[in-house]
Amino acid sequence: MTHTSSFDQKYREGSSNGHHRSRRDGRRAGPQSRPFIQRHPSVMIFIACLALFTLTVSVLSEGFGVGLISTSFVKTLGKTLCLCLVALAMDVVWGYCGILSLGHMAFFGIGGYAIGMWLMYARTELIVIQSLAAAPLPPTAQEISQGIATQIFGVVGASEFPPIWAFAHSLPLQLAAVVLVPGLIALAFGWLAFRARVTGVYLSILTQAMTLALALYLFQNDSGLRGNNGLSGLQNLPGQGATPQSTISLWFLWASALALGLGYVFCAWMVSGKFGSVIRAIRDDEARVRFLGYSVEAYKLTVFTVTAIIAAIAGALYYPQAGIINPAEIAPIASIYLAVWVAIGGRGRLYGAVIGAAFVSLLSTWFTGGQAPDTNLGVYTIQWVNWWTVLLGLSFVVVTLLAPKGIGGLFDLIGKGRKP
Amino acid sequence: MKNPILGTTAAVLMASAMPALAQDCPIKVGVLHSLSGTMAISETTLKDTMEMLVEQQNEAGGVLGCQLEAVVVDPASDWPLFAEKARELLTVHEVDVIFGNWTSVSRKSVLPVIEELNGLLFYPVQYEGEESSKNVFYTGAAPNQQAIPATDYFLEELGVEKFALLGTDYVYPRTTNNILESYLKSKSIAAEDIFVNYTPFGHSDWSKIVADVVALGADGKKVGVISTINGDANVGFYKELAAAGISADDIPVVAFSVGEEELAGLDTSNLVGHLAAWNYFQSAESDANEAWVEAWKARMGEDRVTNDPMEAHYIGFNMWVNAATAAGTTDVDAVREAMYGQEFPNLTGGTAVMLPNHHLSKPVLIGEIQDDGQFDIISQTPEVPGDAWTDYLPESAVLKSDWQELGCGMYNTSTSTCVQIKSNY
Amino acid sequence: MSRLLIIFWCLICAVPVAAQDADAPIQQVMQAHAVELAKASRRTIQPAIDALIDSGLPAAQMVLERWQAKEMWQDEATGLFVFAEEIDRDTIRIFDVSGPDIGEVPDEGYKQLKPNSGVRGLIAAALVKFQLTSDSPAIRRVALDAIARDPKESHLPALRDAIAVEPSPNLAAQMERLERLLTIPFGATEEDQIDAIAYFEGDLGVDVRAALNPLVSTTIKVAKAPPEDPAVIRVLKPGTDALPKPDAYALLVADDLAPPLIPDTAVRETLIANIEDGKVAGVQVATLSTVQARNAAFATLVAEGRANPAATEQEIDDRLDAYQFFELYTGAPAVALAAQSVLSGIETKVALNQTADLALDAISLASIYFLAAIGLAITFGVMGVINMAHGEFIMLGAYTGYVVQLFIPDHTLSILLAIPLAFMVTFAAGVAMERLVIRWLYHRPLETLLATFGVSIALQQLAKNIFGTQARPLTAPGWLDGSMVINDIVAISYIRIAILILALIFLAVFLIVMNRTRLGLEVRAVTQNPRMAASMGINPDRINMLTFGFGSGIAGIAGVAIGLYAKVTSEMGADYIVQSFMTVVVGGVGNIWGTLLGAAMVGTLQKGIEWLNPSNTLAAQTYMILFIILFIQFRPRGIIALKGRAAEA
Repeated sequence: MTHTSSFDQKYREGSSNGHHRSRRDGRRAGPQSRPFIQRHPSVMIFIACLALFTLTVSVLSEGFGVGLISTSFVKTLGKTLCLCLVALAMDVVWGYCGILSLGHMAFFGIGGYAIGMWLMYARTELIVIQSLAAAPLPPTAQEISQGIATQIFGVVGASEFPPIWAFAHSLPLQLAAVVLVPGLIALAFGWLAFRARVTGVYLSILTQAMTLALALYLFQNDSGLRGNNGLSGLQNLPGQGATPQSTISLWFLWASALALGLGYVFCAWMVSGKFGSVIRAIRDDEARVRFLGYSVEAYKLTVFTVTAIIAAIAGALYYPQAGIINPAEIAPIASIYLAVWVAIGGRGRLYGAVIGAAFVSLLSTWFTGGQAPDTNLGVYTIQWVNWWTVLLGLSFVVVTLLAPKGIGGLFDLIGKGRKP
Repeated sequence: MKNPILGTTAAVLMASAMPALAQDCPIKVGVLHSLSGTMAISETTLKDTMEMLVEQQNEAGGVLGCQLEAVVVDPASDWPLFAEKARELLTVHEVDVIFGNWTSVSRKSVLPVIEELNGLLFYPVQYEGEESSKNVFYTGAAPNQQAIPATDYFLEELGVEKFALLGTDYVYPRTTNNILESYLKSKSIAAEDIFVNYTPFGHSDWSKIVADVVALGADGKKVGVISTINGDANVGFYKELAAAGISADDIPVVAFSVGEEELAGLDTSNLVGHLAAWNYFQSAESDANEAWVEAWKARMGEDRVTNDPMEAHYIGFNMWVNAATAAGTTDVDAVREAMYGQEFPNLTGGTAVMLPNHHLSKPVLIGEIQDDGQFDIISQTPEVPGDAWTDYLPESAVLKSDWQELGCGMYNTSTSTCVQIKSNY
Repeated sequence: MSRLLIIFWCLICAVPVAAQDADAPIQQVMQAHAVELAKASRRTIQPAIDALIDSGLPAAQMVLERWQAKEMWQDEATGLFVFAEEIDRDTIRIFDVSGPDIGEVPDEGYKQLKPNSGVRGLIAAALVKFQLTSDSPAIRRVALDAIARDPKESHLPALRDAIAVEPSPNLAAQMERLERLLTIPFGATEEDQIDAIAYFEGDLGVDVRAALNPLVSTTIKVAKAPPEDPAVIRVLKPGTDALPKPDAYALLVADDLAPPLIPDTAVRETLIANIEDGKVAGVQVATLSTVQARNAAFATLVAEGRANPAATEQEIDDRLDAYQFFELYTGAPAVALAAQSVLSGIETKVALNQTADLALDAISLASIYFLAAIGLAITFGVMGVINMAHGEFIMLGAYTGYVVQLFIPDHTLSILLAIPLAFMVTFAAGVAMERLVIRWLYHRPLETLLATFGVSIALQQLAKNIFGTQARPLTAPGWLDGSMVINDIVAISYIRIAILILALIFLAVFLIVMNRTRLGLEVRAVTQNPRMAASMGINPDRINMLTFGFGSGIAGIAGVAIGLYAKVTSEMGADYIVQSFMTVVVGGVGNIWGTLLGAAMVGTLQKGIEWLNPSNTLAAQTYMILFIILFIQFRPRGIIALKGRAAEA
C-alpha cells in the first residue's frame, strides 16, 4: 500500500479529526500529568451509560420480579454486550492498527468452546455421579470418566474422551485455556504472517482462510468437540439446577457488562499514549514507522494477540447465554459481520464500535426474528425476514462509500454544532 | 386463511355455540421452523404444513371449543436462535405446544429450554436416536425404523455383501453409520467389507469417492451404498454416479435423506432404480393420502410434492388434537399422559401408535426412484415400533425409555436405575 | 361420487372380467406359486421362476418379461394374474396372461406386483436362456449384462452354444470373454479353470479381480503341527500383525483347545455377587472406589476359593505356544496359486492405473479451481482489486444457465446460448459494480474488500429470494453424459473433460487478449502506471471498467460449467471464493501461469490428502487450507513472484 491518493489523505485527516483528544495529548509535554480518566471524559460517559443500562435492565427483568423485560430479551441484551466487547477488539485491531482481521470471531468461538467444555463436563459429571450412586459398588474414577464420556459423546457415536478434553474437569484450567489457546494461536499465526510481511488484503484473506480451516476442523467429528453438534446446554450452570434462568441470565448480564466496562477502559488506555500513537502510525504508513526504528512487527503482534484474547473472553461470556456453540458460529461470514458492525458504527473510535455492534446486531435480531412487519408495496410485499440481509449488504456498501465514519460520525456533527 | 371474514365468523359462531370451558381461547400452537437461512427450503414446507393443519382443524371446529392459532417464529437456521425463539414461544407467547425443528443440532439447542419450562415439542424428522426427552414426541423415524430395515433389504433382497457408508460429516450420519457398522458386524459382515466416508456439507467433487466405491467390487462381492449424504451434496453425488454409468442393478444406492423435495433439483432419468427408505412416500396408495396430496397441491400449487416429515407432522398434530380432547385440557402433563397409546391412521394405510418412549410405530417403505422424480414403493414392512436407544451399540443396548411406567427416558436395565431424568444434550 | 364411478365401472366391466381364462396352463403354473409371486422375495422366488421356465410353455417368457417390467397385476378377489397397462391413476387395461385383451377396468381390486431389483435380477438371469439366441442384438446384449451381473453355472453351456452362432463379432468377443470369466469359478476341471485364469493375464477389469479374488481367499487354522497340505501358505506366529494374540487365543477357544478368558467386567460382577452386609471379603463396599481396592478384594475372594482366578499372561502364552497357527487357501491350491500369480501381475498395473486416475481427478479439480479463479486472476491479479463478490458472479452465471434452460428445453442449444448469455449478464454486473462501487475505492483496498462483501451478501440473499434455497437443476446435454472409460480403473466423465477444455480455452483467450490485443496492451499500461498511461491517451476509467467486466464475465461462464457438474444454489459462490483467492495468491498475483500453477497445486494437494485419508474428505480440505496458509507465510508473493515495479501495485 504505497499509493496514497489525495482522497485518501483527506479521509484520514477527517478520521483523525475525530481524535482531537489524542492529538492534544500528543502535543502535551507530559501525558501522565493528569489521570487517565480525566484525559478521556468519554470513557467516564460510556461507563456511566453502561452502568445505567445494566441497572435499568436488572430492575425491569423477570429475575427481579418486575418482569417488564422477558428473560429471553435479557439474554439477548447480555449477548449484545459480549458482541460489543468483541467489536471493541475488532476496532482496536482494524480501526486503530489497520489490520483487517477476518479471524476475530474465530477467537470468540474458541473462547466459547473452552468454557463450554468445562460447563458440559461439570454438568454431566454431576448427573453421572448421581446415577452411579445407586450402583452396588461405589464408582471408580475410571467408571465416572467413562460414564461422562458416554453421556457427552454418545450422541455423536463415540464413548471415549479425546485428548483435547484432558483439562475439561477443571474450571481454572479451562478458564486459562480461554485466554491461552486463542492467545497462542494468534501469536503463532501473527508471528508467521507479520514476519513474512503479509499485509493489507493478503492478510485479510489469510485470516479468513485461518477461520475457514478452524471451522472445517471443528466440523469434523474426529476433532473431538462433537462436530457439527457442538457443545450444547451451556445455559445450565453445573450445580445451579435449582436457580431459575431468569436469575442466571442476570448474572451473565452483569458479568458481560463488567467485562465490557473493563474492556473499554483497557482499550481506551491501550490506544492512548505512545503505544496508541505508534499503532495509528502503522495504520497510516507502515513503512515510515519501520524506518523510524520501531519494531512494527512487535506492535502488530501485540495488538493482534491482545485483541484475540479480548475476543475470546467475550466469547466465553457469550456462549453460556446462547446455550450452544457449534462450528457454524465460527464460519468466515461471522467475522465479516463483525467488520460490518465496526464499519457501520464507525471505526477508529471505540464508542463507534460499541454502537455499531449493538445497533446492527439488535436490528438483525429484530428483522430476522420476524418481528418486523411486512411492508406492502402494492405490487410486492417485502418480507423483512428475507430482505433484511439484502438491506444490510447494500447499506454496508453505502456506508463504505458515503459515510466512512459510520454512525460515530454523527457525534462529530453534533460536536461541531456545539462548538463555534 | 383464505377467507378471513368467514373464518372469524365461524369462530364467533363456534364460541357462542360451545359451552364455556376452562380452556383459554384461542389455543396457541407454536411453529418453530426456519424460514430463512440454509434450512429454510426444508423447513418452510413444514411451516406451511402446520398452517394448513391448523386451518383444517379450525374448519372442523377447533379443539376443546377453541380456535387454534399458529404462532410462527423464524429461528433463521441459527442454532442458538432456536433456543431463544423456543423460550420466547413458551414465555412470551405462552403457546400450548410447539411443532418444530429439523436438524439434530437445533433440537439439542432447544431441549434444555423445553425441559426447563416444561413445554411440549413435536419433532417430525428422521433422526439418529440416542435421546429421549420427557417433553419431546419424536414423530420421525428412529434408526430402527429406517436405517436397519433398509440394510436388511440390502442384505436379504439385493444380496449385498460389501457396504459403502457415505455420509455428510455431522451427527446423524455419524451415529447412523456407527449403528449400521455394528449391526452389519452382527450379521457377519467383516470390518474390511465396510467402507466409510464422510464429506462436508455441500460437497461437490465426488469423482474419487465414486471411483473408490466402484473399486470395492474387486473382490467379487456385491457392493451397495448406504447414503446419509445431506441436502445439496446429493446433486453432485448423483450426477457423478450417473456419469460413471453405475446402474442401480450393479451398485444400488439407498438414501435416508433424499425425498421428493430433494429430487426436484435433479434430472432423475439416470437415477431410476436407486432407492430411498422412508416411512412415507407421496406415491403411497390410500384414500387419506390422496386427499392429503390434493389439499396440499390445491393450497401450494400443482408442482409441489409431499414428503415424509410432512406426514410426521400430520400424525403428530392429529394425535395432539386427540390427546388434548381426551385430556380435556392443553396442559402439558395431562396431554402427555393422554398421548401414550394414541392411535391415528397414517397416510400409507396403516395405523400409527404413540409408544411410551415418545416414538411412533410406523411402517418402513422402500421406494425406487422413477424418472418423474417420484418413488415406486416396492417394499412395505408392518408397523415397526420406534426405539429411542439402539440395540446395536453396547452402551445404549442396556438403555430403555419408558415415560409412562418408569417415568424415565434413560433407564439402565442392567443396573435397574434411571441414569437421568433430563435428556442428554 | 367416486364410489358411484366404481359401481358404474364394475357394471360395465362385469362381462369382460369373466372372460379371464383361469384354466390356461400358464395361469395354472402361476397359481401353484401364487404366494411366492405375490410377495416376491429374492430368497424364496427361485422355485417359482424355475417352475415357469421348466413348464416349457411358450407364454413363460412373456410372463417373466412383463412381470419384470412391473406390468403384472393380481386380481385380489380371484387371485388370478393378469397383465395390465395403466391408463390413468384409477384405470387399467388388463390382458389375460395367455394373451387376449380383456378391457379397461378400475384398478380397485387389482394389485400391481412390483418385483424388487433383487428379484428382477433373478428373472433376468432366468430369461438369459431365451435372450441369448434372440434376433435382436440389443436383447442379446441385455442377456450378457444379466450374466455379468449375476453369473450362474447354468449360463455356461448356454453361453458356449450362443458363441457358436453369434453373428456380430463385437458381441462374440464379449461372449468369449464372459465365457472365460464364467469358466474361472464353474470350469469342469482344475485345468479348465487354470486355462481360463491364464486368459486374463494383465487384464484390468474389475470383474476379473472379482472372479479371481474369491479363489485366493485364505483362512487361519490351528493344530499341534501344520498338515502336509499344498494349501498351507505359511505358519503364523501369535502376537504379530497378521495374528494378534487375542485373535489367536479366540481360535484356540473356538476349537475347544483352551478355556475362555474371564472378561474384565467379571471382577465387578463377582464382587457385587459377594456383597454381604455391606462388605465384600471383609472389606467395606464404600471403600471399593478404586481399581486397586477392587482387585485386592477380588484376590481375597480367589484366595477364599469363592471366585475363579483370571488367566495370567504367562498361562495364555503357554497355551498359545503349545499349538501352531497356519494360513491356508480355502479353495483348490493349484487354482489358487494360478489365480495368485495372475493377480499379483494385475495388482501392480492396478496401482499404476489408480495413480493415473487420481492424477486425472487432480487435473480435473485443478481445472475447476482454475476456471473459478481465472476471473479473479484478472480483477485481483491484474487490477489489484479485491472482489469478494466474485463467487456470486459465478452463481449469477449458473443461475443464468438455469433460467435459459427453463425457456429452451433443448439442452445442447440452451447451453450454447447460456454461455454467451452468462458472460453478458455477469459482464454487465461487473461493469455496474465497477462504476458504482469499486472506482471510488481504487486506493483503499481494504474498503473495496468490505464493500464487495456487502455486494456479495446482498446478491446471495437476492438469489435466495428469487430462486429459493433449494438446488436448481442445470442439466448437461446428452452428449456430455457418461464418461470416457480408458479401462475399469481410469475413467473421467465427459463433463469434466469439457470443463478442462473450457479452462484451457480461457487460458488461451486470456493470453491472447493480454498479449496480442490493443486492449491487453492498454490494460497492462494502466496497471503499471495509470498516470503515464493516461498521458499517452489511454482512458484508464474505460480500461478499468472493461477489464473488470471481462474478469466478471469469465466468472459467469465458470458458473455455467460448475453448475453443470455440481449444483446450482445461492451458496455455490461462497464455496469457491476462498479457494479461488488461495489459488491466485498461492500462484502469485499478476501472472496467469502462476494461477495455473496455483490451481494445479491446490487440486493435487487436495486429491493427495484425500488419497491418504479416504474416509474423511472434510479433513482433506482442512489440511489443504492449513498447508496453503503455511505456504503463503514462507512465500508471501506466491509461486511465481513478480519482480520490479509491477510487484508494487
